[in-house]
Amino acid sequence: MLRIYDLSVRYRTASGEVEALTGISLAAPRGSTLALVGESGSGKSTVALAAMGLLPQEAYCPSGRIEFDGRDLMQMAPAERRALRGRRIGLVFQDPFSVLNPSLRIGDQVAEGLIQHRGATPAAAAERAVELLDEVGIRNPRAVAQAYPHELSGGMRQRALIAGALASEPDLLILDEPTTALDVTIEAQILELLETLRARRGLTMLFISHNLGVVRRIADRVAVMYAGQVFETGPTAEVLQAPLHPYAKGLIAAIPRLGLRRERLASIPGRLPDLRRLPQGCRFQARCPFAETACGMPQALTAVDDNTRREARCHAAASHASTPWPIEAASDPVERMQTGTAPVLEIDSLVRRFAIGRGRLRLDRGWPRFDKLSITAVDSVTLSVRPGEVLGLVGESGSGKTTIGRIALRLIEPDSGRILIDGTPIVGLSQSALEPMRRKAQIVFQNPDSSLNPRKTVLELIGRPIERFGLVPAGEIPARVRQLLDLVRLPAHYAYRYPHQMSGGEKQRIGIACALATEPRFIVCDEPVSALDVSVQAAIVNLLADLRDRLQVAYLLISHDIAVVAHLADRIAVMNQGRIVEIDETERITRSPSHSYTARLIAAVPRIDGVPGDAAH
Amino acid sequence: MTDRSPEPGQGNALRSAAVASPGAVGSVPDAPAPGATASAAFERAPRKPMSAQLKAGLLITGVIVLLGLLAPWISPHPWDTISIKTRFLPPSTTYWLGTDDYGRDVFSRLLMGTRLSLAMGISATLISLAIGVPIGLAAGYFRGRTDELLMRGADVLMAVPPIMLGLLVLAVTPPAIWKTAVAVGLVYVPPIARVTRSVTLSLATEDFIQAARARAEGPAWILFREILPNAWPALIVEASLRVTYAILLGSALSFLGLGAQPPSSDWGLMIAEARAFIDTAPWIALSPGIAMCLLVVGINLIGDGARERLDPRLKTRTAKG
Repeated sequence: MLRIYDLSVRYRTASGEVEALTGISLAAPRGSTLALVGESGSGKSTVALAAMGLLPQEAYCPSGRIEFDGRDLMQMAPAERRALRGRRIGLVFQDPFSVLNPSLRIGDQVAEGLIQHRGATPAAAAERAVELLDEVGIRNPRAVAQAYPHELSGGMRQRALIAGALASEPDLLILDEPTTALDVTIEAQILELLETLRARRGLTMLFISHNLGVVRRIADRVAVMYAGQVFETGPTAEVLQAPLHPYAKGLIAAIPRLGLRRERLASIPGRLPDLRRLPQGCRFQARCPFAETACGMPQALTAVDDNTRREARCHAAASHASTPWPIEAASDPVERMQTGTAPVLEIDSLVRRFAIGRGRLRLDRGWPRFDKLSITAVDSVTLSVRPGEVLGLVGESGSGKTTIGRIALRLIEPDSGRILIDGTPIVGLSQSALEPMRRKAQIVFQNPDSSLNPRKTVLELIGRPIERFGLVPAGEIPARVRQLLDLVRLPAHYAYRYPHQMSGGEKQRIGIACALATEPRFIVCDEPVSALDVSVQAAIVNLLADLRDRLQVAYLLISHDIAVVAHLADRIAVMNQGRIVEIDETERITRSPSHSYTARLIAAVPRIDGVPGDAAH
Repeated sequence: MTDRSPEPGQGNALRSAAVASPGAVGSVPDAPAPGATASAAFERAPRKPMSAQLKAGLLITGVIVLLGLLAPWISPHPWDTISIKTRFLPPSTTYWLGTDDYGRDVFSRLLMGTRLSLAMGISATLISLAIGVPIGLAAGYFRGRTDELLMRGADVLMAVPPIMLGLLVLAVTPPAIWKTAVAVGLVYVPPIARVTRSVTLSLATEDFIQAARARAEGPAWILFREILPNAWPALIVEASLRVTYAILLGSALSFLGLGAQPPSSDWGLMIAEARAFIDTAPWIALSPGIAMCLLVVGINLIGDGARERLDPRLKTRTAKG
């Protein structure tokens, strides 16, 4: 159905040409699902754009052919390609929140393709739109068709988008990270929907994702991409269970798995090569633990197993087939000890409501007043963290977990309840009276792009908290900053870099160093690895574990990724709609959850070892 | 207004040049192995070449500023010497742009007028920045009542036509050139405050503000040390465009007799005085008119060019894989 031969794509940028794709060859037979996986910068989205003929103006293709149903897309006139795009290829984007036009009704947006490309009358198209919404599992489709996007939840919007992509009865559906913005239970539902649709309509799917668990669930074949090349292809189960290429091995070993707790995660050192000056030989050579001199030669994608059409771009793939990715040990392992028993953080029956708008107008003692409409983001939550302990806080978006983290540091004010940090009550104190607390409790944010002031150097960023609290004399601040950089394993010369001169993982290390600068006893880690690629994520998780052991610092680890939390946390608190439904030892939560919501959440997590995630209804 | 205001792009470039070499030579943290090539990917991209727009703007404005600064030394005739014999002479090789009704050389007066017009535009803009930026920062950061109070005040100021506002300030006291600058500066406080507020609103949601609060920083530090450096690019662009408006408004007020007083030469005043002779000696009014056009176009080109270069959205976003 879709065939790509030797496709190369280059982008012209102000700082030189970037080679986004090099010699990509892929095939998705009719009715099959091909997954493209890879980290950011691997070029997987560019493949989707090229297949749709939607490459931006700066891009051009020095070589390659894209065949759809036997016809070369690149030779077609733009109008012809546009018609094909509307009629036979459907596209679903990552972010259901920004793709739908907020000022058009859902039904009209779904029907648009029918009117444009199938020549349906508006009335017939509207009728068909309702049927489609019904088909993608939306209850009461007639009402939803009349709704505007903001009235729908994320999962509903993604369903509506899929309905829109299906409207013109396409043969090929291209999905670019369709579930990345969604919660796991919703993700499981969407994946199940896609499976049903594929079986019912014989759809061919090109599925792009960075999440190997999701890919395991949905795809027949998988292509692992790195730096614009396909590194390994083959049947999904085989590639994920017994990867051949060193990069694929590292990628898979870096993923924390539920129910398989290890001391440390594998991480891949280094980063993507500069796409403007690609190395002659293997593009992974600089990061590969198996690298040898022969890797300096260009590597070809060679067949390893002809029956299953498994291919790997590594001359030594066969000889390394059974060697696992090496996992480095902690640099200087320290015995973990519990110092003291008095909790470092105690939260008692905490409540926080957020106003979400005005309700009905009514008379209050003769005065007209609007009712207050509010939601209870945090509903009488009680928890405590002991020194040196990691308490995981998991839950889906909107469950109130971030709010708890911010209230614990009084970045958001609570409505009622008690908070004690290191035995001192902090509710009701003025901001200036909170200074001693601010030294003891710090925070690491999700997105290091946003948490580091882009106009400051690392020295200023890490030096400021030290200066603010007068921890060392002014002249010794640079030395202390170098110590902290060393602690997060960055070389000293990084002190003079600006955030934009560093990679995502390095920025997150700086974020952690900033939090450590005040020598806190307790750190709120708010989704510390969610914005990072898998291989980098593993390194940061390892770093957090080391720091906990070495500095006896306690974490409140907030994340939607249960596998990451289960890897690090001693205990886990599960949140749903502002309440903690269950709080228990990590082992107990992951193996035998007692609350039904926890069970549903755990079951919905897609796993790369093929234990089927169960859709939650 | 604030203690420091590094021109953002330039400062970065200088520093990054200094760190580039250790980055390429030293070991890269995530890649203890052979990582020299990998580090190159994150060095700062070479500076964007200047757009033609920006070059043209800098050229036009630069020439005008230079002429203005050098006016006393390069003007071919004294700018204020009255002579009955040379009244209303058309442009010639002696009097390049002709002479006016008092027989003064228009070109020399034009050069001297450049100084007043530029000083008016720049000082008025500095005044509006000094008042508008803190207002905008406070409104955008504190939100709520502070925001309402400050912004509704700005709305009231904006509702009055700029000329009327200038007239109001100047009519009650005897006109003086510095008062005109203050009046024009006040008129442009609301737009500056609005731009600052909108930039602040989006910056205030960034996590580094929360991080600053988490280490007990006070509002003054957060406003001036965390937010302001990031708001500069937008403010520089806005301010450079405001300079042109200020020059025009200043000239308009001078035209109405509320700015520069005769015999000093100001472009607006020159046009006002030449109005009576527009049909017999059009060169007197035309020269300052064209000069003003050129200056406004030049500064606008700089503003637009700077917007393209400094817009942080163009710099920080990177394409996803």
